[in-house]
Amino acid sequence: MTMTVQLWLAAILFILMVLIGGKKGASSFAALILNFMVLLLTIIMMNDPAINPIILTLAACVLISCISLFIISGVNIKTVTAFISTIATTGALLFFILELTDDAMIQGFSEEEIEEAGAFSLFVGVDFVKIGAAMIIMSTIGAIIDLSISISSPMKEIHYHNPDISRKELFTSGLSIGRDILGTSTNTLFFAFFGGYMALLIWFKDLSYSLGDIVNSKVFTSEMIFIGSAGIGVALAIPVTSWITSYVLVKRGERDKEV
Amino acid sequence: LRDKLNLSTIHIITVIVTLALFAGSLYFVNHNQKFYDRPIAEVKSAKVEKSIEMEDSSGNNDKLYTQQITARLKNGEHKGKLIHLKNEYSLSGANDQPYKPGNELFVMIDKNQKDPSALTGIIQDVKRDKYLMIIAWVFILLLLFVGKKQGLLSLVTLGVNAMILSYSLDVYLNSGGVGLLLVCSASVILFTAISLLFVNGFNEKTYAAVISTLITTFITLLISYAVVKLTGGSGLRYEEMQFLTRPYETVFMAGILVGCLGAVMDVAITLSASIFGLFEKNQEISIRALTKSGFEIGRDIMGTMTNILFFVYISGAIPMLILYFKNSSPLGLTLSMNLSLEMARALTGGIGIVLTIPIAIFISIFFVKRKKAKE
Repeated sequence: MTMTVQLWLAAILFILMVLIGGKKGASSFAALILNFMVLLLTIIMMNDPAINPIILTLAACVLISCISLFIISGVNIKTVTAFISTIATTGALLFFILELTDDAMIQGFSEEEIEEAGAFSLFVGVDFVKIGAAMIIMSTIGAIIDLSISISSPMKEIHYHNPDISRKELFTSGLSIGRDILGTSTNTLFFAFFGGYMALLIWFKDLSYSLGDIVNSKVFTSEMIFIGSAGIGVALAIPVTSWITSYVLVKRGERDKEV
Repeated sequence: LRDKLNLSTIHIITVIVTLALFAGSLYFVNHNQKFYDRPIAEVKSAKVEKSIEMEDSSGNNDKLYTQQITARLKNGEHKGKLIHLKNEYSLSGANDQPYKPGNELFVMIDKNQKDPSALTGIIQDVKRDKYLMIIAWVFILLLLFVGKKQGLLSLVTLGVNAMILSYSLDVYLNSGGVGLLLVCSASVILFTAISLLFVNGFNEKTYAAVISTLITTFITLLISYAVVKLTGGSGLRYEEMQFLTRPYETVFMAGILVGCLGAVMDVAITLSASIFGLFEKNQEISIRALTKSGFEIGRDIMGTMTNILFFVYISGAIPMLILYFKNSSPLGLTLSMNLSLEMARALTGGIGIVLTIPIAIFISIFFVKRKKAKE
């Protein structure tokens, strides 16, 4: 068997993760593989028109959050609140995106992709509007999980050091932690998208489309909705996580005191 | 009190200006038909004329519909006239969709009109600019509302970075001699400097992050370049770039360079900020303790950070994967055709993220040592 580029890169990534991260690095790599398998399984299940892709996506998000949070960092109050926050944010985002994908008519494939699909039948009986929304949610889930744990984890520390802090104060400090990481989180997503769209951007420029053509084209609108939704997801995760974490921590603190 | 008053005045002005821009731009996208050369028609009524059930050669069941649409032209010489259009769509909607009253469409009016009282034509595309405006505004307002000053800073950074990218691609396309990788490398330096210095200010913490980001990004590019060269690009399928008339491999490499940059910056600034934070809290802290804490923080973030890139890249391929599966393509072919570049991008990004950890730690500690020596 010849070593492909992907196998080499995966091997290098694995070695680096173990060298630098030790046991935690190894479990992070395992989580990555598991997540990939969940994603693949979800995509294969989406082929069945009888299963609603939205419900499938929500179920996949629950599994993916479990893997990313509990396998890497264990089950504790930080990961549990981050988990609840991720699911809440994803759920809220999903309905907004579903509506927008439907209205903007960006489902399915763009002209360039239709060309690539060539002789394939396009009438395959699945709901591409729902699949489009599922795709956008899936692309953001990693960032939402990252943001939730990055907020809930220091909030737990703050509550630990100031057990008498009020829920409102804790919520406000959560917001301020979130604000500090908002910029880098959106940056991570934007550059990832820019990198992925490099070919498309060059193609747009090569054809010298007019601004009017670009802003109305299916491919451009859908990429912008991708980027916009990712940013919205990250921004939304900040108040959601701060609220849920402050609620849970203060509630638990009161309970502990009574005992 | 005075300070408070001034602050709230600026606040109110910002809110008013934002709202005015918001209302103005939404009004504009709903009334900009006259700026388009192509005729635009707004759907007034749509009626499904017939529907047929169909089965394709792979045994997939779908339903095809034909819609009779009456629409009113909103620009051009026939403005205000009604036009009759026909729309065929499928239940799955891979490349078509039903239209309902209120939708605006770009149409082509037939040259030979038999009946001058009722025009006929064909539908070319959907007018999507309003939805683009909606998503942009929801995004901007939410970022401002949640992020306040930091939200504004990240919006401005994003805008400036997008302009740099656009400009550098112009440079590459218009001057035949300049290589894409060279142009992108120059942009990467600018992106990093702007994104980090603008938000975090000019201080040692930021310098350490900028230097670590640049070193890591170029090492990551070098690693992926070496792997692609050593394997002869085995396993990379460039079919999804076939619309491009440019060298695929270079475009792919440039994408890798830019794609991992954000994540690398994120890790670099997180580590340098923590290390400087620890040092400022306790000036006596040993280098050994700083290194240990640095690696601990790095370990905590590497898992979720690599996840981010994975989901961003793999998810984009979902519709195409489903189309392949539904057309009875074998699993291996489906995955290699649609995920080969995405997998390579995600893995390289992961390598970049993990490599940033030791590099950012050592560079931050170098700056800390220098600061210690000075004092």
